[in-house]
Amino acid sequence: MYDLPVQNLIDEFGRLPGVGPKSAQRIAFYLLKLPEAESLRLAKAIIEAKERVGFCEQCWNISEEQICRLCSDIHRDNDSLCVVEEPRDVVALEKAGYRGRYHVLQGALNPMEGIGPEQLRIKELIVRLSNEEIQELIVCTNPNIEGEATAMYLARQLKPLGIKVTRIASGLPVGGDLEYADELTLERALEGRRELNA
Amino acid sequence: MIVTQLWLIDFRNHTSTELQLDSGVTLITGQNGHGKTNLLEGLSLLNGHKSFRGATSESLVRSGCEFAVIRAQVIRHRREHLIEMKIVASGRSRVQLNRQIVKRFKDLSDTVSIVVFSPDDLELIKGSPGIRRNFIDEVLLSCDKKFRLVKANFDRVIKQRNNLLKQCRGRLSKELEESLSIWNSQFIELSEVIGSNRIQLVRDIEPLVNTFYSQVAGKEEQVNFRYETTWMDKGLDQALHEIQHEEVRRGTTLVGPHRDDVIIDLNNLVSRTHSSQGEQRSLALALRLSEHAYMAQKIDDSPLILLDDVFSELDEGRSKRLVECLPSAQIVLTSATGTIPVGIHPGKKLKVLNGHISLGENE
Repeated sequence: MYDLPVQNLIDEFGRLPGVGPKSAQRIAFYLLKLPEAESLRLAKAIIEAKERVGFCEQCWNISEEQICRLCSDIHRDNDSLCVVEEPRDVVALEKAGYRGRYHVLQGALNPMEGIGPEQLRIKELIVRLSNEEIQELIVCTNPNIEGEATAMYLARQLKPLGIKVTRIASGLPVGGDLEYADELTLERALEGRRELNA
Repeated sequence: MIVTQLWLIDFRNHTSTELQLDSGVTLITGQNGHGKTNLLEGLSLLNGHKSFRGATSESLVRSGCEFAVIRAQVIRHRREHLIEMKIVASGRSRVQLNRQIVKRFKDLSDTVSIVVFSPDDLELIKGSPGIRRNFIDEVLLSCDKKFRLVKANFDRVIKQRNNLLKQCRGRLSKELEESLSIWNSQFIELSEVIGSNRIQLVRDIEPLVNTFYSQVAGKEEQVNFRYETTWMDKGLDQALHEIQHEEVRRGTTLVGPHRDDVIIDLNNLVSRTHSSQGEQRSLALALRLSEHAYMAQKIDDSPLILLDDVFSELDEGRSKRLVECLPSAQIVLTSATGTIPVGIHPGKKLKVLNGHISLGENE
């Protein structure tokens, strides 16, 4: 329907997460209308990001350097390490005020998508744990079935190392209403109740 | 719970159908192939479950169209609700409740409860274990929100587990064995919840089925339910361990709630194989009546009853006794001949001709 370069552009946008065929078309036409300098700026930004950003060799978060900003920060707490699925989870935990170490698995166990333990950065994690002085490993994978499976796998793999392994709690969102929580979440929240200190 | 108004657009052979239902009994007549059952099917989808005819979205949409629309006005606990469902032939269907998007279709069950009686119900007794499992699960899904979440997780875990078993290609390496044991623990946890919920339901409906069976059959007989499972006694952990070799060989999960059965005994004989056709029919009706009674009690409301050409399959005595058993509820029934047993008094009669509705003569 379109000239080849236009169709190529639409197809490329269509592959992006969260972009459907209609949005892909809209973005493509917007770019074509843009002054050349502006669209080149976008192209350059993509190329630059791809060229300069890789993965941190220690925690596997995205990083411009071989060792990322967070790993090379000497002021951070070295006692605990959060294991997360994706780099964006690191950002979330940073916002929450966590100031320890991270390890990004780059996914979760998912046989349907062909992701087993070898596809995740688990070996790298085990190497790290024998080199670094970590007291507690906090498993912060998502509270869905793939995330739980990953957490359980980690717990079993790490048991011989004798490190304390904890799982992030699941329960009610702060500022939310009890009545809007789904039944399973509420059940977990009840199980994880704490004594109030008056 | 009452459905007051229904619109069907490009749904099966209904191009544009609008109808109002009686709060008591609505009778729909028309010749075969003109769209009576289609109309009931449209109504039945309002609780967000799959079609009772086992139809795919594609077959629900009128041929040549991209999507069908079902709209309905529902009154529950004196409050009016608007349901708008867009069924897409190839793609994601959507549903709105009072103009708000409903994430999971099955959550409509919180607003709409329906019990369908269809001629295929004989399969509940005669058919494979899967049909009985489905029956039990559908009842639980209709009135237990937590069960809905557990079942969704269970379906996902079993898919993942099956995928893993397929990846083995008949040989279990050490790595795959480790992964498998990880998925096992979630599989076991969810299976136990599903198993215990099913057993509780079976216990709850057994006395109901006994009462309704003797009423429909016109004689006192003993109906017993047995939840048949190969894993509960020894524990799923042990059962999985024993069958692991075979599971790896066949690349699929061979033990668990998805393989259980509910055996229904009539006078201590397995109804599936030993009961007469007539007894099986009475049992199937007793199951549906019990489903209604159970749900009515759980949700504190009377679910809508859909009777799809049920009386044509029954002899006079059974028809009469079924009518006596029908609870007070909104009822929509179809009939090809238009003859219905005494005791049913339609407040409204509708005729279907080629997917078009017209008002029949009212009593």
